[in-house]
Amino acid sequence: MDLVPFILGLYLIYVSCRMPGRLVVFIERFDVEKLYEQRLKRYVTAMRNEKPDMVPIRPFVAEFTAKYAGYTCQQVSHDYNMAFEAALKCAADFDWDAIVPNMVYVWTGLTQAIGLKYYGVPGIDVPVDTGFQYREPPEGDAFMKEDEYDQLAANPTEFLFNVWLPRASKYVSAQGEATSLRNNLSFLKGGMAMLSYFNAFGPQIERMKNESGTVSAISGIFKAPFDILADKLRGYIGLTMDLHERPKKVLKACEALMPHLLHTALSGADPDKNVPIGFWMHRGCTPFINKEQFHNLQWPTLKPIIEEIWRNGHQTLFYAEGRWMDHLDSFLELPAGSIVFHVDQDDVFEVHKKIGHKFCISGGIPNYLLAYETPDNVRKFCKKVIDEVAADGGYIMDASAIMQNEASIENVKAMTEFTRDYGVY
Amino acid sequence: MTEKTNQVKPGICLSWDEVRKELPDINGDEELFKRIWEDNDALGYMYIWQLLLSF
Repeated sequence: MDLVPFILGLYLIYVSCRMPGRLVVFIERFDVEKLYEQRLKRYVTAMRNEKPDMVPIRPFVAEFTAKYAGYTCQQVSHDYNMAFEAALKCAADFDWDAIVPNMVYVWTGLTQAIGLKYYGVPGIDVPVDTGFQYREPPEGDAFMKEDEYDQLAANPTEFLFNVWLPRASKYVSAQGEATSLRNNLSFLKGGMAMLSYFNAFGPQIERMKNESGTVSAISGIFKAPFDILADKLRGYIGLTMDLHERPKKVLKACEALMPHLLHTALSGADPDKNVPIGFWMHRGCTPFINKEQFHNLQWPTLKPIIEEIWRNGHQTLFYAEGRWMDHLDSFLELPAGSIVFHVDQDDVFEVHKKIGHKFCISGGIPNYLLAYETPDNVRKFCKKVIDEVAADGGYIMDASAIMQNEASIENVKAMTEFTRDYGVY
Repeated sequence: MTEKTNQVKPGICLSWDEVRKELPDINGDEELFKRIWEDNDALGYMYIWQLLLSF
């Protein structure tokens, strides 16, 4: 006779008689742990392009969390503890399998301490209830000049410290300039603030797990070499000119960035190899660059990194902002299951027909629908996606782009509840 | 950071090999010095690359 269940039963009877409150806590804790395990299994199974017990829900909720929890955009951008609380409240109230611990990721307290010039901060540069904005400098003020490609390629880390940061920060002195209190404080406060922020993610992820059984959706960050050149160094306009005037220099710089971007991606990856590295795709899509530029420059400096990440046992979440239909054939060259493809502006049904046999797909629920349409129309669209895209598994419910505060609470509830009711296999 | 680093390896800002040349003879455990230098140097590397990528 197995005595373990018998002894456990006696113990529970004893606890329920002597300490009924503790029994409730014990059962609740057991339920949350079980819920977490169910959700993790559901989410991971779908990401491996297999069929879980039901369609997982993993909304990338950004400023929506502020709207729901009663905070302003300024509050969740500038005080990461408020952003964490807002995310936890949503996680507790919605039946979501996974979320990002803080999708309002840019902590403007940190960017202000360092003096970064390129953010529009809610409450200063933009209204209190507008999400933070990225402000690309005019072409002439790009943080990297057209004749600096060789310097970047020779030593990217040194270039970032010595050339990029003094231009991107209003406090950091350029080489040869006198130092200053603000320069020194920028590094001291910036470094300590970054550690403070990053170290706060561990406890936040534990609270998500223990309080609501919610999985942390991604781990680590990756951006393509070409996108980094366009976003933070040359700017989009400068880079498009360089693609015509000095394409070999652009390629050489992208190649020099590759090992660093791979290293950074892997250094933040999930040690358990469950959740993917987030890849935020910006400037390689249609119509920012043409197909020839994609095939000659973007893809050759991106594909090897994704393959190496996969060889290390991690999936990459392609957060495909914009339209990427023109490049799906290239993505099909990647090993089956190596990526999760998140649909933004593309037609989710067409994407599924094209790559659904090889990769899990997420998203595709239009943000305008969640913001301005009726709950009935949200349910109708979700039904079509579940019927046509999720039928065989390998789909994760989410909006197209991150959900900011224009998303209607009623519509997000409709998306969640309908998926739970209808999306059972 | 005006020192010439002459290296591009990921994860490193200022290599131990370069710093080692500036030190007198070490009579203690050099591997310990090297390991701790590299651990702290990696924080500097994380700082600049995370600024570029995440912020």
